[in-house]
Amino acid sequence: MSETYAVSVEDVSKSFGAFKALNGVTLRVRQGEIYGLLGPNGAGKTTLIRLVCGLFEAHAGTVTVLGQRMPNIGVLRHIGYMTQQAALYPAISVEENVRFFAAINGAEAGVKEALELVHLYDRRDSVVATLSGGMRQRCSLACALVHKPELLLLDEPTVGIDPQLRVEFWEYFRRMAAGGTTMIVSSHVMDEADRCQRLGLIQYGRLLAEGTPADIRAQGGSQNLEEAFLALAGRNES
Amino acid sequence: MSGHRIAAITRRLLQGFRRDRRTLALLFVAPIVILGLLGYLMRGSSSAPNVGIANQDSGPLGAMVADALRQSSHIKTTDINVGDGDAKLKDGSLVAYIVLPADFTQQAQAGNVAPQVHLEGSQPGEDTPVIQSLQPAMIALATRLAGRDVNFQPELTYLYGGANYDTLDYFGAAFVGLVVFFLVFVITIVSFLNERSQGTLERLMASPLRRGEIVVGYMLGFTVLALVQAAEVLVFALAVLKIHNQGNVLLIFGMEALMAIAAVNLGIFLSMFARSEFQAVQFIPLVVVPQVLLSGIIFPVSTEPGPLQWLSDVLPLTYAVDGMRDIMVKGADLTWGSLQLDAGVVLGFCVLLIAAGTATLRRRLA
Repeated sequence: MSETYAVSVEDVSKSFGAFKALNGVTLRVRQGEIYGLLGPNGAGKTTLIRLVCGLFEAHAGTVTVLGQRMPNIGVLRHIGYMTQQAALYPAISVEENVRFFAAINGAEAGVKEALELVHLYDRRDSVVATLSGGMRQRCSLACALVHKPELLLLDEPTVGIDPQLRVEFWEYFRRMAAGGTTMIVSSHVMDEADRCQRLGLIQYGRLLAEGTPADIRAQGGSQNLEEAFLALAGRNES
Repeated sequence: MSGHRIAAITRRLLQGFRRDRRTLALLFVAPIVILGLLGYLMRGSSSAPNVGIANQDSGPLGAMVADALRQSSHIKTTDINVGDGDAKLKDGSLVAYIVLPADFTQQAQAGNVAPQVHLEGSQPGEDTPVIQSLQPAMIALATRLAGRDVNFQPELTYLYGGANYDTLDYFGAAFVGLVVFFLVFVITIVSFLNERSQGTLERLMASPLRRGEIVVGYMLGFTVLALVQAAEVLVFALAVLKIHNQGNVLLIFGMEALMAIAAVNLGIFLSMFARSEFQAVQFIPLVVVPQVLLSGIIFPVSTEPGPLQWLSDVLPLTYAVDGMRDIMVKGADLTWGSLQLDAGVVLGFCVLLIAAGTATLRRRLA
């Protein structure tokens, strides 16, 4: 009997002009799992995430999210998407930003809880333009999860933030996954990979390897994830 | 000062332009388009207005003066019946008509001529060519009367405006709408581009929001701002500048609102074709200036060279400007066919742009 997945990407390809961003990628994410999408810059991680939330249509293959073939606008209210840059409205306050994203998802009740979760409740009246980079990332995360999505897509959520905040972020992610939220987190920072339940390694638009961190270590032949990744990537090149 | 460091700045600037082909193209295309249009408008426009002549004189002198008027290079004449004159002024086919009364020959022989000059009056300065054409006719008349002193006293009447009506009254009516149109367009195109460049548009597209909801939401937000601005402009124009107004203030406001909505949607639509604020700013002269030149604000559409009249007839601003003038100068209300047409065209343009903006939103996300 086939397992049902929160996200299932089947043999997906996507090109931009002559550039093949994704080339026959297949991966499946279970419900309540933290799935780490690893790979160098330009590997196709963001394209894959955008396909999962239906911003593009694949040229070949299918993307299914929460049982619906994407793109599908009905599924979007169950998805939270944190873009790579902290995409916020700089001229309005933290709370106004979070309230806006709550409103377009029809979930205004969750504003206070989301602000408390990212420790921004005390700074809720600050205008976003005056915030530090780390606080903007936290605000952006609050906007992505304010409607309690079943699937959270986080595109390099910890880029440019300090180690302490990174630990806090992963603590949130772990708690949300424990509560049943499925998460796809992209990163090129290998020490974050160990915190994911399963990993997919992407390079040049192809999935090189998939499995638990332990599987990846075994496949790459190294106890160090970074070395294992580089070994797998090197095999792909030759 | 280091020449080397200065050169680095200059070089970097030019390098940026070399890659930004679109900005470069606009930089070199826009002035040619604008100047070419202006040149064609000014050289190609026929400045001779259409003037009707109604000669009711039973004597020979009326016919003689009418003939002299027909020879004039300042005006293009047609013979009309007195009764049709006002109707022809209203429908715009004549800017003036001259009536030579039944006793014109007697008047002339008595040394006192008073041709009746009926002017449409909404454009300042349109009486000048008419008076200019009358002068040689009067000289011819004086010659015919063998140097006798003839007192020339034309009776001027205005259908609209009046003797105190000035240039500001004519331009003011159009500018009240234009100022709102222009400023709202600039604000919208830049802020919609911000939405794109700061990444929030991508978030909106990944939310349950529909494209039409984004476009209409934007439209309402900016329309609220635009209406406040429109009210301010209107009050200033009427109370401080005391621009001539014959019409209903609410109608003017309604027309301003329609123009604002059109401007918002034009801004959203055109923002799809710009990748940066830099490029958007380049659109402003290219989109706004030709429309202003061709809308009849400065050069009446009826005097434009033929091909440009075609272009004017498809530009929405032409109708908006005409509508504003109909209301403010002529006191038009919604029972006027011309105002219905003007308002209808601007409204249709809004609907078209909302649809176009919605349709292009997804395509240009990446």
